[in-house]
Amino acid sequence: MRRPRRAPAPPGRPPEASARRAPGPGTVCRAPDRPAGRTPGRSARRRAVLAGLLLALTGCATGPSLENRGQVTAPPGDSRDLTIGTAGFTESELLARMYALLLRRAGYRTGILTVTNRELYEPALESGRIDVVPEYAATFADWLNAKANGPDAATVGSPDLTATMTALRRLAAPRGLTVLEPGRAVDQNAFAVTETYAREHRLRNLSDLGRAGLPVRLAAGDECVRRPYCAPGLRRVYAIDITAVDPKGVGTTQAKQAVRDGRDQLVLTTTTDATLDGFGLVLLADDKHLQNADYLVPVVNRARAGGPGVARALNALRPVLTTADLAALNEQVDSWRRLPEDVARDYLTAKGLLP
Amino acid sequence: MEGMTAPPDDCLARNEWICGAYLSSRREILRDAVLQHLHLTVVSVLVALVVAVPLAVAARRLRWAAGPVLGLTTVLYTIPSLAMFSLLLPVYGLSATLVIAGLALYSLTLLVRNILAGLRAVPEETRQAARGMGYGPVRLLLAVELPLALPTAMAGLRIATVSAVSLATIGAIVGFGGLGNLIYSGMNTYFKAQVLTASVLCVVIAVAADLLLLFVQRLLTPWTRRGGRPGRAGPRRAPAPPKPAESAEPTGPTEPAQRTEPVA
Repeated sequence: MRRPRRAPAPPGRPPEASARRAPGPGTVCRAPDRPAGRTPGRSARRRAVLAGLLLALTGCATGPSLENRGQVTAPPGDSRDLTIGTAGFTESELLARMYALLLRRAGYRTGILTVTNRELYEPALESGRIDVVPEYAATFADWLNAKANGPDAATVGSPDLTATMTALRRLAAPRGLTVLEPGRAVDQNAFAVTETYAREHRLRNLSDLGRAGLPVRLAAGDECVRRPYCAPGLRRVYAIDITAVDPKGVGTTQAKQAVRDGRDQLVLTTTTDATLDGFGLVLLADDKHLQNADYLVPVVNRARAGGPGVARALNALRPVLTTADLAALNEQVDSWRRLPEDVARDYLTAKGLLP
Repeated sequence: MEGMTAPPDDCLARNEWICGAYLSSRREILRDAVLQHLHLTVVSVLVALVVAVPLAVAARRLRWAAGPVLGLTTVLYTIPSLAMFSLLLPVYGLSATLVIAGLALYSLTLLVRNILAGLRAVPEETRQAARGMGYGPVRLLLAVELPLALPTAMAGLRIATVSAVSLATIGAIVGFGGLGNLIYSGMNTYFKAQVLTASVLCVVIAVAADLLLLFVQRLLTPWTRRGGRPGRAGPRRAPAPPKPAESAEPTGPTEPAQRTEPVA
């Protein structure tokens, strides 16, 4: 079987050089197709343009090449030397570090490769240049769906985790990718109000806010006006009276300040945002499940890392890592500027997953 | 868990521009980034040099080759750097070689143009004199033309090197950008100490490389140095190299012609 295992390693390619990079880019550079990163609008646009350009230019490199097609039907492999890919933002890098530490514990040699976006790392994952990547179930399912069926294909990611996982596995398998089991941690869009506002109007979830009938200004990204999970969904599913969308970006400092100062009432952020306390904000539960099931899930190249060894090593994290844990870890890297590798190791050690 | 504890109060948490804790906690990361940056820059410029010299010589010797060589390298130079890496991605995959290949292609333009300008600036009389002394084409090239083209070629090499130092940062999009990796991630988290430190290191590398090449140039071209042989008449060339050629027209120095004999 002809299958290029790896891109030819240049002399002196130092995987560790990039492996020991400093804290990943944080909140901004979530892969641009993610429904909502905590992405300030301007930067998001720039990034979207960049990603679009890259996508257009690398179009010919996507999908398994002829040489690679054998890999799609290949049996699960168990390479001892694994490269873990990260999309560069803090959460992705933290997960990649944890995967690397767990795999190293299980006897694998690991390197980390940081790539700026999914358009670049997904083809590398198919080709086996990258072997393991932390992904978001619903977002990745929709991304693969768009890649296979065009950008106008109906979305397959949904608030239902089981349906999302089924769709994701169906899309991933023909590309030679295996999706492992999702854990407890989920990075979804989430809406927050100030503690005083919640107390005053007795709000615990978004349904309460709809019932209260209050006029609500929403601080979010400018795309919120159209996205089904955002303003339209809040009106339709929760009957919340959204009077305006204040385009301050998703979960940016400015957006949170606007809500704290009373200029806006509701802010769009994510479930792993650990800075809400600092602004006196509390999340309102998504009790009618408007948001997609963006559970964190490891995706591996089947021919190189599809064996039981990798799954066993990574599954150790499933029952342990919660959304709140992830938020706290993000904060240590983003706000305290600790090294992602140190934060990941300390966490795994505290949880008894590392000696 | 740890996240519930109060945030530490140090210059990292306060996000200060200049932060000693950043330097001490990231010493290895910074060292690796600098080494990767040097590796990318040095290898790419050397590869470009190895390719550029024969191209420039061919363009000088073969009249018909000059147009295509200059045209092609100029077209390469106009490709935006992000696009260049994307175009090369299918060939090299996500690797340092990808970045090196891209940087080498950019350096090629500057080097070919400047070496060619240097070669064209060798006066015809000098070449004829060498031929008259029995020099064959190879010896003429090695002993007369290339040495006389050196100041202009070195100017191109210096610009190509400094450009490569700054362009290497773009490699961060594929994970091989040396200090660019740190600048890129630092910008995304508004990590001031990281952005400033990596940027300063980048500038330091560029300036150091430029000075090093200037030093090498002066070693290689002793005849251009101030205070050369006593009794030399007329204005002397400044130690600084001439400006790089902006066009294919020979704009290089003509003076070294008088200095041919000591070299040969």
